[in-house]
Amino acid sequence: MKGLSQSNRQRAQLSLLLGPVTIFLAIFFFTPLLIMLIYSFLMPGLYGGVEWIFYPHNYGRILGFADPTFEFFDPVYIQIFLRSLRIAATTVIITLLVCYPAAFQISRLKENWKNFSLFLIALPFFASLIVRLFIWVLILKKTGFINSTLMSLGIISEPLDMIYTEGATILGMVYIFIPFMFLPLYASVEKLDWTLVKASQDLGANGFQTFFRVILPLTMPGIIGGSILVFIPTLGNFVVPTVLGGAKVLMLGNLIEQQFLSARNWPFGAALSMLVMTGVLVMLFIYIRSETKDGDQSPATK
Amino acid sequence: MNWLKRLGGGSLTLYTILFFAFIYAPIAVIVVYSFNSDPVNMMKWSGFTFDWYKQIFGFTNASSEAALYIESTDQLLAAIKNSFIVAAFTTTIATLIGTSTALAIYRYNFFGKRFYRVLMFTPMLMPDIVLGIALLIFFVGIGMPLGIGSIIIGHCTFLISYVFIVVSTRLAGMDRTLENASADLGANEWATFRKVVLPQVMPGVIGGALLAFIISMDDLVITYFISGVGTQTLPLFIFGMLRRGIKPEVNAIAVMMLLFSFTIAAVGLYLRSRKK
Repeated sequence: MKGLSQSNRQRAQLSLLLGPVTIFLAIFFFTPLLIMLIYSFLMPGLYGGVEWIFYPHNYGRILGFADPTFEFFDPVYIQIFLRSLRIAATTVIITLLVCYPAAFQISRLKENWKNFSLFLIALPFFASLIVRLFIWVLILKKTGFINSTLMSLGIISEPLDMIYTEGATILGMVYIFIPFMFLPLYASVEKLDWTLVKASQDLGANGFQTFFRVILPLTMPGIIGGSILVFIPTLGNFVVPTVLGGAKVLMLGNLIEQQFLSARNWPFGAALSMLVMTGVLVMLFIYIRSETKDGDQSPATK
Repeated sequence: MNWLKRLGGGSLTLYTILFFAFIYAPIAVIVVYSFNSDPVNMMKWSGFTFDWYKQIFGFTNASSEAALYIESTDQLLAAIKNSFIVAAFTTTIATLIGTSTALAIYRYNFFGKRFYRVLMFTPMLMPDIVLGIALLIFFVGIGMPLGIGSIIIGHCTFLISYVFIVVSTRLAGMDRTLENASADLGANEWATFRKVVLPQVMPGVIGGALLAFIISMDDLVITYFISGVGTQTLPLFIFGMLRRGIKPEVNAIAVMMLLFSFTIAAVGLYLRSRKK
């Protein structure tokens, strides 16, 4: 080490610290994504595998220009895509509506209660996802908790059909993603400057006006942040629709899984994954745009 | 107006209580019913029993009626063992790499620093199904056998980011003057690092490692795609059971898993609040 100058030594230390992550992510993160991108433009082989021929019809099957030698365009894939978007959007809206009032209430509690409440909300995030979904299976299924209880109380005579519906899928999503919405939302709500709310009231604004023109714009960063954090894992989710949606609620994630594990059409599956990734990137782009925008001017304080 | 306000406040409190009930009541239900003795309809209360807990720990009387259902206990134990092996290796690797990256970005100015900051967030924001699929294609493409090894690599790709973020947050809140003081008092770089930086950053490293451990133990989606046929982890085992049909022991397993992750999370959150 003696012969090395100060800057040389620093450079050596730096490459020692940064080398592992660079090599690891280059090999095991970027290369796989690149290969997946290439795969999505290759022709599926007859018995699984791929042919090294440029083939845009993997995307075509979804977007409307299917390979004419094989099949007619089938709108089922675009329907599944739209359903996934719809379920993701509904999940975002419900988690938002559920968390928003609670965030306000908790932000006004005394310090100790506040911390304890935040702890209680963050805790399920650490609990196994599959266990939390499994709980809802036990609650919603035909012989589950709700049906058993209602029937033994004599309120219903036939079990209700709750599980294996789109509603059950959304409920499951809402349940597991509540912390994702709550925490960013709370960060915004806690920072809310109540003097502005007071000022708006003093100036004669009614409740609606104060809410829509002061409170809502000021908490917008949290709303957007939370919405994106919920939207991203919901869109490509295949565990929740598998467990709570059954065969009826097919989402993009289920379709992707089928291509890889049963249909063995990897290029098509890769194209579907690229579609999910694009959806997520678009969302992130919107988020970054909105972040940089309200960094210097938030509508209400302008 | 005053009574209206109080009513508003009161209903908001009630709402918040319901909010917490929504989160925790299902968990309470499963804890209670994991002691239900009915082997056929698990959600119809018919008496108290420890049987399911005994069964998952292997103290089972093979003649019991429920034995008809049991997936072999060996399979379960193998899955638990795999989960722990994967989580242990993943945590070690992800913590080392994530921490060194955070230190590099904190201590040095270099070309491409901003690029690295953004780079470290991407694996975390990548939908897990996309990452799982990409890794599956990659591993099969290079001919790497799927199993414990591929699962560990797969978990590391995104858990490095988690450790990085936790450690970076800790570093950002650190007092830099202490480092300067130590240097002024004649400590060399290594001594400063070992005696000043390291003790301060340690809670972040431990927090990051705990987080990585819990997430690795829980990961289902990525593991699902890159585990191959012979290797099961605990979440995969439960997922498989949910697809085939639920046995009463799963209740008990689920409660044990909840207990386990809640304990680790509580320790982690406690450490964090204390060290602040």
